[in-house]
Amino acid sequence: MIDDQLHDADPYRPEIIGHLDGADQTLLEEIMSADRMPAPWRRRLIAPIAAAAALIGVLAVSAVVRHERPETHEAVRPAPTTSSQWSALILRAAEQNPRLLIQEPGWKITTVYGFTENTGTMRFTKGDRELEINWYPAAQYQGYYTHRLDVSKPEPGRVDGIDGSIFTYSASDFAIMLKPNDDTFAELRTGGKWTRSAFDQELTKIKRVDVQTWLTAMPLEIVTPGRADEAAAKVLEGVPLPPKFDRSALNAVGTNDPYQFGAAVAARVGCGWIVEWQRAKQAGDQAASKKAADALRGSHQWKFLQQMTKDGAYPTVFWETADQIAAGTLPVGYRDALGCP
Amino acid sequence: MGVRSGAEDEEHFRRVYAATFEPLLAYALRRVEQPADAADIVAETFLVAWRRRREIPADGEARLWLYGVARRVLANHHRGDVRRERLGQRLRQRLTSFSIDPAAEVPERLAVRAALARLSELDREVLLLTVWEGLEPRETAQVLGVSAAAVRTRLSRARARLRELVGDDPVRPGHVLDVLTAPVPEEGR
Repeated sequence: MIDDQLHDADPYRPEIIGHLDGADQTLLEEIMSADRMPAPWRRRLIAPIAAAAALIGVLAVSAVVRHERPETHEAVRPAPTTSSQWSALILRAAEQNPRLLIQEPGWKITTVYGFTENTGTMRFTKGDRELEINWYPAAQYQGYYTHRLDVSKPEPGRVDGIDGSIFTYSASDFAIMLKPNDDTFAELRTGGKWTRSAFDQELTKIKRVDVQTWLTAMPLEIVTPGRADEAAAKVLEGVPLPPKFDRSALNAVGTNDPYQFGAAVAARVGCGWIVEWQRAKQAGDQAASKKAADALRGSHQWKFLQQMTKDGAYPTVFWETADQIAAGTLPVGYRDALGCP
Repeated sequence: MGVRSGAEDEEHFRRVYAATFEPLLAYALRRVEQPADAADIVAETFLVAWRRRREIPADGEARLWLYGVARRVLANHHRGDVRRERLGQRLRQRLTSFSIDPAAEVPERLAVRAALARLSELDREVLLLTVWEGLEPRETAQVLGVSAAAVRTRLSRARARLRELVGDDPVRPGHVLDVLTAPVPEEGR
């Protein structure tokens, strides 16, 4: 009887599912492709993999992943050892990315990450509108294009002389996928309230700029390679560093907003302590394993992680992982969860 | 749990997402005041799950595991710690575009919900997971991290307490998500 009454008081209405208009699929794509993990090459492969998997099967796709990884992941290359080598690397990455900027007052760059590889994301915001630019290796163009054909019929469009295809997600949500230019291709997608005419209009204001102009356009809070040392010093204040921690490697994380930079730093510090914890455990070095566990447990007090909670889930995941290790268990898949380099 | 490759983890995540999106959305909508908050809870829960995709159990158990994640996300939400603004924006728009007709709210339902609010958190969760989510005591126990025996004891106690409270509680009108009306389509151009 009480169960019947309770059942009747259930506020959930299953009809709501029929009114989502694809918002559930959009969220899935956001989570898998715009996830804020500091290893962009991994998530950038997901959409073409999903599209290709239906056609050629998982085995062939695994081969694609193995094939792509050495080409796109900087960490497997020999690490540069001097700052001029770092600069050269960043410069090369900046040359590879599309460097598109909205040449109209009022647009602010609010999210930036990637840039050490031929994938990356920039989000521009003005009032209640957003425009996000993602870029991917040119080799993946066809996979993405095939995937987007499920969204809508493509219509021709153009950005600063580069031809592209416009896809319509809804009456207020559009994207343009540009044809590959050198090593990459870019996709621009709306967020917030847009109309098609406003989108078409905005596309005429977007220009491709040179490396210097592009780096200079980054707002002060964006951690460019030139600002990485200073930003790292600030972030790492009061944070215990694991043995053999290489601060200079933080120059290799590219151009990032503070959240992404924080995640990259946390991954390097956290994973360093985990490696040390494992080593100490194996060696039976109790003092060292306690020191590592204490450092991980203490991450709840790291200011930069606390500040990051307002922007995303990275700290939550970091602390859950750290707490498990501090309690003596190494969680399966911690490297993926933290984005260990 | 068997070891899956990275690509298998991603496919598994997609499958789990497709199979559990609705139960998770329902779980969230049942436990927040504003539908927009449910979008945040769902987005945050699946984002955590994506980051921990290697740990997601096999299909049958994934929903229970996700309820457990959602429960922690919800606790953070109640403490004011969840402020997602970037993910789930479209879901938020869709959920908030439904309007509610308060006149259609039945007083008996409101009395039951008011009574629920007076149960202890664990008693309430045991009841809701059983009746609204339709879980067996063994499954409820898994979500809450307690023993199945403890769930059974709490369940009978919570039912008795709720029965008592519903009997005592005067009927009060209020604004609660209930009847959905179709949203007005947005202007195309």
